[in-house]
Parts: sequence; structure tokens; C-alpha cells
Amino acid sequence: MNAVRPVRTGEQVVTPEPLITIKSAAKVYGQNRGLSPLSLGINAGERVALVGPSGSGKTTLLRLLAGSLVADGGAGAVRIDGRAPASLRPGPELAGLVGIVSQRFDLVPHLPALHNVLAGRLGYWSLARSVASLVWPLERRAARDALAQVGLADKINERPAHLSGGEQQRVAIARMMMQSPLVVLADEPVASLDPARAEEVMELLVGLTAAQNRTLIASLHTASLIRRHFTRVIGLRESRLQFDLPGEQLTDGILGELYDLGAGEDMEPLAGLAARDG
Amino acid sequence: MERTGAEQTRPQGQARQRISTLRWSVYVAMLLTAAAWGFILLDGDSGFGDLFRERTWQNAGRFVAGLAGAGTDGASSFAQPGRWLETGRLALNTLAMSVLAMGIAGGGALALLMPGARTVSDGTLGGSPSRAGRGVYAAVRVFYMLTRAIPELVWAMLIVFFLSPGILPGALALGIHNLGIVGRLTSEVVENLDPAPARALRAAGASGPKVLLYGVFPQALPMFLTFLLYRWEVVIRTTVVVGFLNAGGLGREFRLRMSWFHYDEVGLLLAWYLLLVVAVDVLSAQLRRRVRWE
Repeated sequence: MNAVRPVRTGEQVVTPEPLITIKSAAKVYGQNRGLSPLSLGINAGERVALVGPSGSGKTTLLRLLAGSLVADGGAGAVRIDGRAPASLRPGPELAGLVGIVSQRFDLVPHLPALHNVLAGRLGYWSLARSVASLVWPLERRAARDALAQVGLADKINERPAHLSGGEQQRVAIARMMMQSPLVVLADEPVASLDPARAEEVMELLVGLTAAQNRTLIASLHTASLIRRHFTRVIGLRESRLQFDLPGEQLTDGILGELYDLGAGEDMEPLAGLAARDG
Repeated sequence: MERTGAEQTRPQGQARQRISTLRWSVYVAMLLTAAAWGFILLDGDSGFGDLFRERTWQNAGRFVAGLAGAGTDGASSFAQPGRWLETGRLALNTLAMSVLAMGIAGGGALALLMPGARTVSDGTLGGSPSRAGRGVYAAVRVFYMLTRAIPELVWAMLIVFFLSPGILPGALALGIHNLGIVGRLTSEVVENLDPAPARALRAAGASGPKVLLYGVFPQALPMFLTFLLYRWEVVIRTTVVVGFLNAGGLGREFRLRMSWFHYDEVGLLLAWYLLLVVAVDVLSAQLRRRVRWE
């Protein structure tokens, strides 16, 4: 196992107490390495882009931050605002700490946009309030405001099936605003959208998290979006940290190199599998 | 199907072989049909010859005329509004029996909807996996299997044994049997749901019950109601069969009037029964259209 090499070529000055501290967090899935020991500090208000080929550990890192995965060293390896998300039970504390927007939007198909947005409040509501809200929606005004902010005020009663991909992603962002966590995670939030829609959604996501002074960590693959919207970019390959740069310093060359190398190395686990089977 | 040796030596492709298999199947089917009819016609004991006897047709004609109200002493039941009302009450009882049965089946299946789904008990859809959850899941599935395996007729025979005859034993028998059917179908709907929305809710900090409430329940409900309405259409027909066993409603009277040779009254009961079936089918179709949300 390699020693941790925090590659810090960025210019940001890390304050003594970053909002997020990751200390030698690692994750191994059976034979596969999800994430090699990684240490990072992320300050409040930073907008961090995670780049790297498929299987490089981006999703593992995001899930460790979201608390839906526990690092091999124990939940304490990942701390946000002093608390370990993986050790928190579902409820107001976890909901206020960290939330995640995924590539597939993950709206509930049979509920209208209003209820899908209000689902962001489930972490704060009691069970009784949750039941009541299913029949008679609570906090309707806040939900309407959130939908208006993502430009979907007129779609409040539409079901996800009647919304386009971009609109569904915007509902998911409105849901995230209702949850309003300190740290907003986004797992390839624009991967399934066309370039124009991707730009729109990214602008919304970045604009709204910046307006609420939240910290954003998103995985994506587009250098231009990263340069425009992110303060910091972290490159991962083969579950290892490759670079950690200010967002505007990311060039297509750096990204291309990361992905080309990644594509070659990516074949290795498969080859290993075949050898074992044979 | 076996291919013949002659065909195998031919160098033709797959399609040719499939066609000859088809042709052979047709020959075999024709042969079997001819043999079966030959057996029926030649064998005296099958009673098939009765179908062509004049007496049979006379009896049948008399019976149908009887059902329609001919040959009764005095006025036929069809001509008496009082008889219509009297049997109408029985039809209403039968309807009540079916609704009660669906209430029992629906209430039970709804209560067991979550514990009866594997993806809920093993924590795929939120909630946490526990040995208790898995135990309850297994128990619910065995319960579904038992209730489904025993036909409603047998349930009715068992229940009438210790409950006084009436609507309730019939409704219980139908309810229990259909609970197994609707419950299993709905649990399978839950198991086939996309777990992603539930996972997203969990990520938003929602606890297990809330995840099920928002992520699973709204998705399963339309299918659950659709199954329930389909089963209602079946149940309204089965109420008559269960009624034969003293379980109340049209079925019981049907059997009594038959044994008293009151054919016009039997005809009246049949008329009500048909009305009931058509009404329930129409109503169920209307409701199902409303339930289909998307």
C-alpha cells in the first residue's frame, strides 16, 4: 500500500480547520480497490470538481462523504464540520450536513414535482408530518419558491415522466435546496444531458450553492464547465489522487492525459479477472 | 420434436427443419383429434350419444322455458315486482359479500405490503436488514402461499363449519384466498421497483419508514388497486359458488330453488347475477382507468 501523497499544487491556503477532512480514507470492495488511502481538506464555500475515468474512485469518494459507505479505517476517516456522516442515523443532523444529487435524478415516478421537492424535507420532518404531507403538502410555499428558482414554477403538479431530463435534474436540485445541507455532493449531475442543458443545470447548481454559501463537490468530465464553475479540481485515476489544481488551471491536455492513461490501466482488473477464471 | 433420419441427411438449413417439425406437429394433432373423437363416439359409456337424443333436447328446452317463467302455476316470478325486490335484496347481499371480501383482502395485503417484499426486508429499499425482518418476510410469504393454495370453496367449507351461515363466512373465505393472491402480486411489484428513488430519499436523510412511505408506497399503490379491482371482478362471480355452501347471497338461494324445481325463480336469480357481474365489470373498468396515473 502506497503512502499518502497529497499533491498540492493549488494556490489556496488551507485554513487550520477545513470544513471537510478526509484522513487516509480507503475502501476495498472484495478484490477491487474502490479508493486507495486518500487525505484531503476542503474548505467551506469551495467548489470542487472530481475528474477521472470510470472506476477511478470518484463515486466511492462521494459515497464516503455522503455517509452511505463507511471507510475501511472506520467512519471517523471522513469528517464534515467535525462529524462523521457514516456514523449518523438518518435524521435532521445528517440531512443538514450532506446531500447528494445523482446522474439519474432519482425522482419518485408517481409523485408530482411538488412532493418530490418536499422529499428534501423528510430528514427534518417527523414520521407523522411526513404522512400528513403526502396527503396535504406542508411547506408548500418553500417548495414553490425552490421550483421557481430552478425555473419550473409552472411544473409544480407535473409527474417526472412528463418532464424532460433537464427539468428532472432541476427538480432534483430544488429538492436539494429544500434539504439545504452544508455540503452538496453531485455524482455526474450533467452526464445524461446535452451540452446546452448541462451548462444550464451546472449554472443553477453552482449559483444556488454559492448563494447559500454551501460547499459543492461534483464529479464531471467537461474541462470547460470545470474551468468556468469550479474553484478546485481533483484528478483521480486507479483509485489514487493524481492532481489537485485550482479550477481555472485545468487544461484539456491535463484532462486528456488523465483519461488516456486511465483507459489503458482500466483494462487491468478485467485482465486479472480473466486470468483467475482461466 | 425428433427429426427423421432422412431429413437429417439432407443438407438444408434450420428453416427447412423447423417447417417439417411444424408439419409433423400438425399431423400428430390431427391424428390425436381423430382418435379422441373416435373413442367418444364408439364407446357407449361416455354418454356422448345422449347429446343427440331427442329426449335430452326436450328436457333442455323445457328447463330453459322454465327458467324464462313458462309452465309455472299462476303468475311467473318475472311478472311479480315483489319477487324482483326479494331477489334483489339477495343480489345486494352478494354485492356486500364481494365488497367485504375485497376489504379483507385489500386491508390485509396493504398491511403486509412492505414486510412481504424481499427488497424491503433485506434493506435494498431503505430500512436496515435485520434477521427479524427476514423472518417476518418468510412468514408472510408462507401465509400468502397457504391462503392462495387453498381454494375459496374449501375455505368456505371450513369457515361455515364454525360460523353461522350468512354473508360473513363467504366474505371471509373469498377475502382470505384473495389476500394471498393480491398480496403476492403486490409484493412482487414492490420487489421489481427501481430502488434508486428510495436510495435518493435515504441520502436526503429520510429514515426507513419515510423512505417506504415516499419512495415505495406511491409507486406500488396504483398496481395494488388495479390488482384488487381485477380480483373484484373474479370475486363477484365466485360469490355464487361460495353461496352454494350456505354462505349466503344469490348462490344459496340458487341451490335451494333448483332443488325445489322453482325454475322461474332460478331464472330470476340468474338475471340478477348477470346484472351484478356486468355492473361490477363496468365499475371496475372505470375505477381502473382512474387509478392508472401515468
